[in-house]
Amino acid sequence: MNPRFSLAFAWYYGFRTIKRGPSYVIASLSSPLTLLFLIYIISKGELIKYAVVGGFLGLVASVSFASVADAAFLRIQLRIQDLFVATSISPTDYILGLTLSYIIFSMPGIILYAIIGALIHIFTLESIIALVLLLVILTVSTAGLSMTIGGAVNHIRNVWGISAIMSVVLTVLPPTFYPYSYLPKYIIYILAISPTTPAAVLAQGFFGFEPIMYTMIPIMLVEMVFFFALARFFTRWREN
Amino acid sequence: MLSTENLSKTYKGGIKALDSVTLTVDKRLVAFIGRNGAGKTTLLRILSTQLKPSSGTANVAGYDILKQPDQIRRKIVSIPQEASTLGVLTPMEHMKLYLIARGFSVLQANEESLRALRELEMYDARNRPSDTLSGGMKRKVFVAMALAANDEITFLDEPTTGLDPVSRFEVWAAIKNLSGNIVLTTHYMEEAQELAEEVILVEAGKILEKGPVKELLRRFDGKVRVESILPGSGDYQIGRTYVKYVKQEDAEDFVKKGYNVRRITLDDLFIVRGVTIEP
Repeated sequence: MNPRFSLAFAWYYGFRTIKRGPSYVIASLSSPLTLLFLIYIISKGELIKYAVVGGFLGLVASVSFASVADAAFLRIQLRIQDLFVATSISPTDYILGLTLSYIIFSMPGIILYAIIGALIHIFTLESIIALVLLLVILTVSTAGLSMTIGGAVNHIRNVWGISAIMSVVLTVLPPTFYPYSYLPKYIIYILAISPTTPAAVLAQGFFGFEPIMYTMIPIMLVEMVFFFALARFFTRWREN
Repeated sequence: MLSTENLSKTYKGGIKALDSVTLTVDKRLVAFIGRNGAGKTTLLRILSTQLKPSSGTANVAGYDILKQPDQIRRKIVSIPQEASTLGVLTPMEHMKLYLIARGFSVLQANEESLRALRELEMYDARNRPSDTLSGGMKRKVFVAMALAANDEITFLDEPTTGLDPVSRFEVWAAIKNLSGNIVLTTHYMEEAQELAEEVILVEAGKILEKGPVKELLRRFDGKVRVESILPGSGDYQIGRTYVKYVKQEDAEDFVKKGYNVRRITLDDLFIVRGVTIEP
């Protein structure tokens, strides 16, 4: 393990990128903010608290899902991964570096949502702690899933479509921006295939909007371990 | 420094990139030379542990590429042919990130990056986002990484492809300054002649010849190459040009007959084997 590399990668690839290319931040914010606006209008403000909490999760998930394209671009187009293969860093260091970068990419959006959340008084100390934990676990799961898929892609032209589909289907379809109680229970379990679903269901529970669905805790933890392990073993580090 | 035994690589779809390559390399600066698709990059990627061979094995710095890749990775620097800079990062940031990946402390990485960038005359550009740099400057960032890492073996895959002549000379000078062993690939004959103590000619996944440039060219001693566009006027045909090798003292007669006379280069090793090289 080379945590210094992971941190340096996150600093240079995450922080420097958003500092010098703020359009990336605006792009990642555009979809959750649009949904927030629509939900506010359609529900006449009633579901705004769901949309704000969902916005945190949707933002983190969509940034990570967009990383399918990132991971493939770095490997296929820029050959950056090849450069690092011939060093002593491991695939885990590289994946951690990328994951930390995505957390940094999400930070401006998280700050914006925190301000909105504070304005509509949805936070308690417990709910903030729960939300932070959920965001970290969700980032690891979604980044792992994205890097596994990004690592399997052979041609860069295929990757942009996959990333867009994943971002919409796995972020908007789950009960991220609406109450999970709108859905039959079996549908929630089917949707739990996306790490965004257990995160959203639990967040709604911890914020007191809906009853806490405890079965989602093991599902979320198992998905985190599973998707990270998948990325660790299936990231094409040394090619065949 | 390195050796291979019956090293072969067949890609999906049946493309055979390397065909039972067995060789030993012990000179400090070695160049694999051949046209595009000859198998040079595949060989370099296998030796630098980026790619697994289909069969055979190789030893690099005393370690087996299949059984001990981690030990090899601590002793080599490998700069891929198509590596590109991340547009928003500066040369200094690229260098520091790479050196930290190689186990340098942040302070060491900073010092070594500055030293290498100064040596390659890139100091003034050290804090410019790399998408504002020329193609040559971007390529030099990667050579600077190798220079700063200063490890036992440096693999450089076509380090000067796409560079203008001035940048190419600068990169050559930098490569000569690298302290360890260097293995590079190129399809520029003059690059191999300028840099390498030993050249290895690669074609269709096989090693054609290997040796110091002077030794390989000995068969042409006292000869020059004469070229004509008239059909049947040469022993070898390269596109629309016909080539033959004649004694130096006869060259003037051939000039009078309308032939062009060229001095012997590494190109001629490929020509006599019927391999068309790129201009």
